[in-house]
This record gives sequence, structure tokens and C-alpha cells, in this order.
Amino acid sequence: MSHQLKIPWVIKYRPRKVEDVINQEEAKSKVLEWLKKWPNVTKKALLFYGPPGCGKTSLVEAISNEFGYELLEMNASDFRRKEDIERVAVRASTMQSLFASGKKKLILLDEVDGVANKEDVGGLEAIEHLVKVTKVPIIMTANNPWDQKLRILRDIAEFVQFRKLEKRDLMKLLHRICNAENLHCDEDALDYIVSRAEGDARAAINDLQAVGEGFGEVTLERAKAILRPRDKERDPFETLKLLFSSRYAWQARNALSQSQLDYEQLKLWLEENIPHQYTDMEDVLRAYEALSKSDIYLGRIVKSGDWDLLVYAMDLMTVGVALAAINNPRDKDKWTKYTFPQRISIMSKLKEVRSVREDLATILAKHLHTSASTAKSDVLPILKAMFVSNPEYAAKLAIGLGLSEKMIEILAGTNKQAILDYYRKVEELLEKKASEALAGTKKLKQEMKKEKPETEKGKEKKNTKDLFSFTKKSG
Amino acid sequence: MSITTSELLWAEKYRPKSLKEMVNQEDIVKRLMKFVEERNMPHVLFAGPPGTGKTTAALALAHDMYGEDWRRYVLELNASDERGIAVIRNKVKEFARSKLPGDIPFKIVILDEADNMTADAQQALRRIMEMFVETTRFILIANYASKIIDPIQSRCAAFRFTQLRKEDVVARLKWICEQEKVICYPDGLEAIYEISGGDLRKAINILQASASLGEVTVSNVYKVVGLAHPKEVREILNLAFASKFIEARDRLRDLMVTYGLSGIDILKQMHREIFSADLKIPEDMRIVIADNIGEIQFRLVEGADDEIQLTALLARLSLLGKKLQSKS
Repeated sequence: MSHQLKIPWVIKYRPRKVEDVINQEEAKSKVLEWLKKWPNVTKKALLFYGPPGCGKTSLVEAISNEFGYELLEMNASDFRRKEDIERVAVRASTMQSLFASGKKKLILLDEVDGVANKEDVGGLEAIEHLVKVTKVPIIMTANNPWDQKLRILRDIAEFVQFRKLEKRDLMKLLHRICNAENLHCDEDALDYIVSRAEGDARAAINDLQAVGEGFGEVTLERAKAILRPRDKERDPFETLKLLFSSRYAWQARNALSQSQLDYEQLKLWLEENIPHQYTDMEDVLRAYEALSKSDIYLGRIVKSGDWDLLVYAMDLMTVGVALAAINNPRDKDKWTKYTFPQRISIMSKLKEVRSVREDLATILAKHLHTSASTAKSDVLPILKAMFVSNPEYAAKLAIGLGLSEKMIEILAGTNKQAILDYYRKVEELLEKKASEALAGTKKLKQEMKKEKPETEKGKEKKNTKDLFSFTKKSG
Repeated sequence: MSITTSELLWAEKYRPKSLKEMVNQEDIVKRLMKFVEERNMPHVLFAGPPGTGKTTAALALAHDMYGEDWRRYVLELNASDERGIAVIRNKVKEFARSKLPGDIPFKIVILDEADNMTADAQQALRRIMEMFVETTRFILIANYASKIIDPIQSRCAAFRFTQLRKEDVVARLKWICEQEKVICYPDGLEAIYEISGGDLRKAINILQASASLGEVTVSNVYKVVGLAHPKEVREILNLAFASKFIEARDRLRDLMVTYGLSGIDILKQMHREIFSADLKIPEDMRIVIADNIGEIQFRLVEGADDEIQLTALLARLSLLGKKLQSKS
């Protein structure tokens, strides 16, 4: 029984017979009559149009099922290119003549407005050609037949309108499924689901499954918790709730597709909240392993530029994490207070600290002729040790290296004040020295004229000047 | 001027300025001096462990080649810091463009940590080296010559820098102490050698920090090392082994942010801790954990996110800890 449940209900409960298709009586009789006459019809193709989820594709499938047509189905995503369409056309017409005794055939071109929207040059022309040469009936579907790009179809296909489903039609449909699934369904919950579906049977069934499957009941409370008005994306908290409570892979994947979070953000939210939702350590590890592997794929995408890998990253992140609660599956529905990823808040709080540290590493790297990363990992810790243990020495180093106050703070922590006090004292001393040195310059120059410039005094003077410029830079 | 008002890092202060001052790698130094004498040199590759004098030799060679003004004719690049080969190419191009005075035969580009470049970047580097060979010579510096692609190796005179002998390191440290008038004890210097693993720059850093505590004694050396290597890593491990996963995770985050340590830095420290006798875990666990740490490091090298991967590692350690607890 459980494996049957895994089929999406929209597939499990799609109409098998024409009479199962809700409403659309006008369309039904039109189509059946047209099929009976085919090929003696004015137009060899039909175009079903109407809002999503009103039964266009379902009716075609029901007809093929009930009247024994073999359905050659192509979706907008399939016939991007002219050749694809021609291949089907050729196959359909030649097969028909070769096996005249075989099954009747019916071509379904689903969502043709999708073709027009894509920049597939020749796609519509190919359809036109197909209709002209076809030896089997063709039915197309579209949401908006009045699209300018589709006007070519008006000449070759007969348009059949499908109406938006009424609320009571949908209620009837959901009741039927509730009975078949042995689900206890509260009336107000179904009403809620139906109102937000806005005539779309597919959406209503999907929502019913999301709310009811695995719980054995459909209550208004849960419906409201899980479902949101369709035009509104789930906020991060709802996304996590839906993801963690998912019992099936498709539920978990949906969690990301209708979320305000993108996969990078979701990664951080999961990193933060996995141990809040799951309590069993093995489950926690399983979830983190999935997240970790997902993250490896993300790394590979950056490295290789191969975005095809993204689906695997997203699968692991959603399905992998959602289905990790094996030891303690009850955790999945546990009420959890999700927290905003601390990493993001810490990062933004410490943005300045980090940039100061980077600057510090750059100074050290330049000074020591190493890379900034070596400076960070090898030199910074040692420098820190000196700064915490000997403020006076630290101040001298700060002057020698030309460190700013903020850098001193990073290195010294609470010891900062002692260092700064000493630093200022030295600065004053240096300023005094600098003016002395300035006064002494004339005298020095005279001496240098007498002797060769290679004197200790000359070096000393240069030193003092350098120190002065260091303090100025850092101040 | 008896009181010094400023200090530098000794590793730089006592770096030999000229080849004549270098006390190690005698054979290499002799050959480099020949280059100076002839005022000509090929592209060269300096390979060897850290802290054995590669960068010092490069700078000293440039100094001796051009005199006090040497910085004008030398471009120092670090492959780890430059973002991409395009940046390197532009910098080299810019640098090579300016005219040389008549008596200067060529300029020198020092490219440190060249073995951190990908094979593709090295191919591009090879072309750059050829493009500017008329006016510039390259000194490539690497820890591992084997990580430099063959076409580059074959265009370079390779110099292999060997690990410094213990007595040489200790003698150098002692000499610095004399210059600085710092009291040092032989066992203190030996401890520094052991900790630094023969890396002279690291050794001098530890020496300076120990001296800043007063004298270079064994206890001061260890005090410095304790200060420099945060106990946080051990505490994080202990929290994880005690199955306090969330706390361990929060501490990890703290460590990465406050110390600015990269994931790989932390993994390396964890690895050290795992084999320290202070960590009380069953002996066979040490290798299990080392394997896990290695796997995580591999993932980081693959381009994965530091924090996610280390958190996953902590989750694994927490589970291991839990199993250990239930066993005992």
C-alpha cells in the first residue's frame, strides 16, 4: 500500500474515462464528434484552450484510454526544435500506414503557447506543416490562444474552449479522493484548499496531498500551516517547516521551489537549524552529511562552471536533509523555533573586524615577504601572544610595524588599553625627538659634508625619521 | 638613544640582506654569487621546505645584483594572494614595460608560493615567462618542485633548499639573542627548534615572543606556544566528544570569526590535537578521526564551504563520542 501512495495524486486520480472529466460537457461532445468524423473534417487539428488545471490534457488522456488511441504526446519542452516535430510527424504517419490494423493514433501537442514563447525559430511552422501532412488526429492545448504568436494556428486548428472549474466541481473531486484515500477531511479545510486553487484542479489535488498524505486527516489548521496563497512565496520559517516535515522526496523538493530562499540561503538556514529539529545524533549526522555533499557539488559548480550539477546539490539539500530522520521520525513534525543563521548575523557584525584583520595580514605579509594567508595562520598567533603578554613590547611592535588602533585591539583584546597608553607615551617621545632631529639636521649636514656620508649618525637620523612616519601613518 | 622606541619582527630584522650574510645552503649561495658576478642569470626555481631561506636567497640575490636601489628592479608577487593569472600577467606586463638603465641587464620577478597555482595557471605563467624573457628573469619559489609543471621546470635552473640542521638553527637563534641582549637557555632554544620543525622563520617568531616574556626559557617557550595556539580547538573537540554538538558548533563559529582561521587551519590543529597525549580517547579512535579530518580537508580542497564541512565533522565526532560513552 505504501508504495502506491508515493504516486502523486494528480496522476493517481487522473480521469480514466471521458465521463470522469469534470464539467466541460460542451467541449467533450465537440471533440468526440470531431474524432468520429476524422479525417473528414474541415480542420485536422483541435486546439483546447482554457486556464491551467481545467482538464484539457486530462480529456485527451481519457479519450485515448477509453477509445483505444495510442497517444503520441509531446510537451512544449520536447518540441523546441523543428526537427523534433518532424520526426514525430513522420513516425506517426508512416506507422499508421504500415500497420493499418494496429491501434489508432492520436497526437497531443501540450502547451503550444510554450513553443511560441521560446525563441525556437520554425517551431510553429513545423506544427503547421505537421497538421497539413498528418494522417492522425492532432490535439493541441494552450492557456492563451489569443497570443499574437499563435495566430498561425487559428487557420489550421479548430478552437475548443474549456471553462474554469467551479468551486463545487472541485469540492466534489476532493471528496472523492478523500474517500478513496481513507482520509478524514474537514469541510472547512477542503473549502480553504478549493478557494485558493482558483479553479485549478491540479493545484487543489496537489495541495490536498501535501496537507493530508501521511497524516490521515485534513484539518483547516494544518492546511493553513502548510499552504500559502499561491502568489505568495514561503518565508524561511515556512520553508523549513515544510522541508523537515516532508515524507516524500517530491514534497521536500517542492519546499525549495516555492520559497523566498534560494539554495545558497537555504543551505545556511539548514546548517543552523538541523540540530534544532532533529534530536537523534545519527539523524543529525545523516542530515549534515547530505548538506555537506550538497555543498561539495556547489563547490564543484564554481570550480567547473558546470551548472548541470546544481540539481544534485538541490536534491541532497532538500530530500537528503528531509529524509534523514530515520531513528527518530517524530522529530520531523516537532514544533521547532527556527533561528536566523547566526553566521550571517555574525559575519555582518564582524565585517569590520575581518577587514581590519585582512589589512593587518597584508601589512605582515609585506613586511615578512610571505602570503597573507601564511601571515594569518603563522604570524598572527605569535603576534597575538606577544600582545597579550607584554603591552610595552607590543606598543613598540605596533609602532615599528605601523599598526592602527583597531589592529592593536584585534591583537590585544582586553590588553588594548595598556598598549595604547604606552603607545601614546612613545608617540610624544618621538615627536620631541623628531623636532630635536629637525633642529639637529643642519649640524648633521655640516658634519656630513666634512666626512663621507657613511656614518652611524646618518643612519640613526634616518631611523628616527622612519619611525616618525610610521606613527603618522598609523595615527 | 639607549631606549628603543620601536620594534620590528626579528624574522625580518635579522633576515640576511646580502648573499654574503647567508650562513646556510652554501652550495646554492655560491652558485647565486656567480650569477651576480656574471651579471646574468637564467630563470630559477627555488624549492624546499618552509623557513629554509628561499625567499631570503631571492631577495639577497636581487640586492647583490642591483645594490641598495634593488627594489626598483624587483617585482614581488605571491601566487596565493594574487587573484588569478590575469592579474599576474598584467602586473608583470606593467613592470616589464618601464625602461632599464643601461647598466642593468634585466629585471627580476619573484613569484612566491608558485606551487599553489593550478596547472592551467602555470601554463599561462610559462607563456608569460617566455614573453618577457628579454627584459625579465623569474625567481619561482615553491615548497614542492613536483607541483611545478615540467615545461616550467625545464626552463628554470632548479635549486633544492635542504632542511636546516638543528645546530645551525640553534646557533642562529643564539646569535639573535646576543644581538638583542636577551638571555637564552640552550634547552629553551632546543625546544623552539623542536616546535618549529626546522622552519627558521617560525623559530625566530617563537624566539621573539618568548623573549618578550623576559628570558628564553623552556617554560616561556611553551607559554608562548600555548598563547599562540588557541585552546579553543581542544575545547571544541572535548565538547563534541561529550556530544554537546550545538555548543561545539557555536564555539567553532566563534573561533573562525574571532581568530579568522580558515577551515584548513582548524583541521590541521584538530589533527595535531587528536594525536596529543592530553586527549583521552581510545587509541584506535585516533586514526578513525584522522581519517574523518582528512576526508573533510579533501572536501574543502574540492571547493566546499568551511563552516558546513567542519560542522558536519563535529556532528560525526559527536556521534562517535556518544558511542564511546555508551560503551564505557
